[in-house]
Amino acid sequence: MLTLLRKLSWPELRHHPWRNAAALFAMTLGVALAFSVHLINASALAEFSAAVRAVNGEPDLEIVGAQTGFDEALYGRVAAHGGVAIASPIVEGDSFAFDAAGKRMPMRIVGVDALVVASVSPLLVPRPTKEADRFAVLDPTAVFLNAAAEQRLGVAGGEAQVRVQAAGGRASLRVAGRVATGGPPLAVMDIAGAQVVLGLPGRLSRIDVRLVPAVDRERLVRELALPAGARVATPGEAVQRVSNVSRAYRVNLTVLALVAMFTGAFLVFSILSLSVAKRQQQLALLGVLGLSARGRLALVLGESAVLGVAGSALGLALGTALAALALRLFGGDLGGGYFPGVAPALRFDLGGALLYGALGVVAALVGGWLPARAAQAIAPAQALKDLGTAHAGPRSFVLGTALVAAGVSLSALPPIDGLPLAAYASVACLLIGGIACVPGGVGLMLALLGPPRQPLALLAIERARYERDSATVAVAGVVASLALSVALTVMIASFRDAVTHWLDTVLPADLYARAAIGPGGGDLATLPPRMPALVAQLPGVRRADAQRVVPVVFDASRPAVAIISRPLADPARSLPLAGELVDAPPGAVAIYVSEAVVALYGAHAGERFALPLPNGTRADVFVAGVWRDYARQYGAIVLDARDWRGLTGDERINDLALWLEPGASTSAVEASLRHLASDLGYDGELLEFAAPREIRVLSLRIFDRSFAVTYWLQAVAITIGLFGIAASFSAQVLARRKEFGLLSHLGLTRRQIVAVVTAEGAVWTGVGAVLGLGLGIAVSAVLVKVVNPQSFHWTMDLLLPWPRLGALCAAVVVAGTVTAWLAARGAIGREVALAVKEDW
Amino acid sequence: MAVLEVASLAKRYGDATVFANVDLVVAAGEFVAILGESGVGKSTLLNCIAGLDRIDGGTVRIDGIAVHTLAEPAQAVFRREHLGFVFQAFHVLPHLTVAANVGLPLLLQGRPDDERVRAMLAAVGLAGFDARLPQTLSGGQLQRVAIARALVHRPRLILADEPTGNLDPATADRVMCLLAEQVREQRAACVLVTHSRAAAARADRTVTLTPEGIVA
Repeated sequence: MLTLLRKLSWPELRHHPWRNAAALFAMTLGVALAFSVHLINASALAEFSAAVRAVNGEPDLEIVGAQTGFDEALYGRVAAHGGVAIASPIVEGDSFAFDAAGKRMPMRIVGVDALVVASVSPLLVPRPTKEADRFAVLDPTAVFLNAAAEQRLGVAGGEAQVRVQAAGGRASLRVAGRVATGGPPLAVMDIAGAQVVLGLPGRLSRIDVRLVPAVDRERLVRELALPAGARVATPGEAVQRVSNVSRAYRVNLTVLALVAMFTGAFLVFSILSLSVAKRQQQLALLGVLGLSARGRLALVLGESAVLGVAGSALGLALGTALAALALRLFGGDLGGGYFPGVAPALRFDLGGALLYGALGVVAALVGGWLPARAAQAIAPAQALKDLGTAHAGPRSFVLGTALVAAGVSLSALPPIDGLPLAAYASVACLLIGGIACVPGGVGLMLALLGPPRQPLALLAIERARYERDSATVAVAGVVASLALSVALTVMIASFRDAVTHWLDTVLPADLYARAAIGPGGGDLATLPPRMPALVAQLPGVRRADAQRVVPVVFDASRPAVAIISRPLADPARSLPLAGELVDAPPGAVAIYVSEAVVALYGAHAGERFALPLPNGTRADVFVAGVWRDYARQYGAIVLDARDWRGLTGDERINDLALWLEPGASTSAVEASLRHLASDLGYDGELLEFAAPREIRVLSLRIFDRSFAVTYWLQAVAITIGLFGIAASFSAQVLARRKEFGLLSHLGLTRRQIVAVVTAEGAVWTGVGAVLGLGLGIAVSAVLVKVVNPQSFHWTMDLLLPWPRLGALCAAVVVAGTVTAWLAARGAIGREVALAVKEDW
Repeated sequence: MAVLEVASLAKRYGDATVFANVDLVVAAGEFVAILGESGVGKSTLLNCIAGLDRIDGGTVRIDGIAVHTLAEPAQAVFRREHLGFVFQAFHVLPHLTVAANVGLPLLLQGRPDDERVRAMLAAVGLAGFDARLPQTLSGGQLQRVAIARALVHRPRLILADEPTGNLDPATADRVMCLLAEQVREQRAACVLVTHSRAAAARADRTVTLTPEGIVA
């Protein structure tokens, strides 16, 4: 077989270098995209895990608290237990530091007991500078920065002051040394100082425990009788939580990259199909000379394997380079915002390389399978007489219809392990089934046309009708790439439209003021409770509503759910509802849950729900409605501020929504608000303001950045589709030179022959565009209505942006027609009439 | 009156002369066969006559029009209206029905005529084959389709290149008989190039092409 590949296939590959280079390029790109996404994900997760491990150390047991931690008295009990060798208390939270220019920089603050931390978390041990005294580790105003924090704050190891955002406003701390922890900016300080800075006096976030050898862990936990709000964490819980958070996003990206690989496989299919069609007589001759049908199958599969191996090897190299570039430009989440502060270095993964390399070869073999079967099915005697090829016939149409039906059925299945795997299978079935229906679809559409009387139209239409299997090869590339592009366009347009409307509903006020809180959504700073009433009396302010946002962990394996309490006079108007409201029974506390809370915690409208509270207890509430929230993938709950205060006694507030008098100056209101806050004992300079327009612009900018990678994939898909068209038309024009020679003899000018081929190009890409558009809309419906809710737990309406879709289809038809025109012009020279010469 | 007048025609490929000093006159209704060794340029001569290949000397006139002086589009229009071709390998379009293949020259001239197509099919013995696709026909039947196509638009000149090269002797004889009969019936001129003396025997006149010119 290797000899046959060398003697027969290699000259063929060399004879059409550009066509085969296109297939190779497509495979390379497919593997590169898939592998780069894998490397980016793996690098980001590895970096994040390393950072988490560095902060957490390697305790035998970890006792963690809810959002506000637990009473530090628990520490004494734990440390005194006979089974505990060492107990290291930790308080931690997210805050900001201010650089020399006053710019805020996210920084995690970790409070430790320097005397015991070394045994459990050696990377968190504070190391004083030479200038600092050795008791600096116990100084509540001293901090020890890691390398990232030093670099970002411009503090190079010496004595310096650094300002951080503390619960009571800005606090100035003394840099007394370093810590060896890697990862994003981090400051370690004495636990007492950290409790003050984080506003958690007398509270601990966790206790890391080293056990006495051979102690019974379960028994120890039972004996500790942990109070409400404290629990034993499972090993790797934090890493797992972040992995879970970004999992759907990562899987979606991987699936998109695999679609690029599928498109590459499609180009292999196109090019090998045409190659087999062109070499039909050569393969038939080999058959006559003794090469078995199975041998012909193996020969063509061998050719696709060569393309696959070469494409995979190049793709792995390109993917590694792309991953390195993307990590540098976009970070570890490609703009998704799942790994805040993590700037991962590229980590090459040999196992992943082998997996994706093998996938590339398999994709090429799949692409080559049908052409190989066609080579196997050649009847040598008939083929030698050039009596044409067999049609795919109704079998492919039946198979296609069955796959489309399977796709529709699969789209109705629930998620598997939290992922929309059945929906992905549905998309695959729809795409493959739709493509298999192309010959039938082409036949159906052409059947609607009668035989034209115009000679050029007759030639173009009749050939398209007769050669509709060849048309499949050319058109299917267009169908596949256009369907993918249409699906992504519709999905993104629907999502963008939904987010725009959502922003309109959730941002009704003229101005928003927020107590600057930690970037991780912590509860570091709150506004004075009296502030809303006083703000409403400020000049230019018509109304001021207060809002309290509290992150509460419902499930340790998932991020916290945001509980939002605010005045809620008319939920139907102030919430972007998804469904009808249900009246709460008398006396019941009504809550309004986002769709994610329904999907993840089963809080359905009209049912009772045990609402977890920050102190670790639960309250019996009634779910009165469900709303759409595109900001918090892991859930948010809104309830009236009076109910919240009644449940928790928590009077604090984080945000203010301000309605201004007509003509009021926003900047004047902001200044008077800062002044008022300072008068009330809050650091007014820490107030953050945002106008709805700014929030909207920023949100949509983040949105567009998150989807930047999908635009790129669309461009790649369309390019690959057009490559397919170009390769297909060039090959067909070359294969039809005898036919063009005859037409030239019959009196057609070269221009007319070029016009015939161009018209065929227009007909085929037009049919491809119609089918691709239909298929794309079907796939987009699955993406919007199934994949999105199952991945991210939010729903949206399907929006079809007809002008953009029309422009996309028109661009593909024009590009396909121009490609056909170029191919025809290149191949049909003056000497085309002599193409019949071999018979003269 | 002469339909075809070839005078001092010469054709070279680079420095190699294919033929020179070719003179040939064919009258309306006359059937001329050109014999010659392989490689002597018989097919090239037909291409030069049809304006499908450049000439390097001399003139080619059909119905008094110097075909070689026309621009490419005008040559194509001229071929469409005045010439008919029959090839060794039939060259019928597989995606068109038999009737559409035969009617193609009329369609190209913008005057489709189903009656004429049916008449030509009947004339070549293929009545009722209108809707058949070419791959369902035998070699002899395909060549008869090609002859019908060559004559359907009543061209002034038929150029036939080895039309029996792919046929068995009995079928070849029947096809040549049909071609000669149709040419004469329609008062067309016909130039046949062939190796086959049997095919040439059907012609009114036989000449031989040599590198130095036509030998009677």
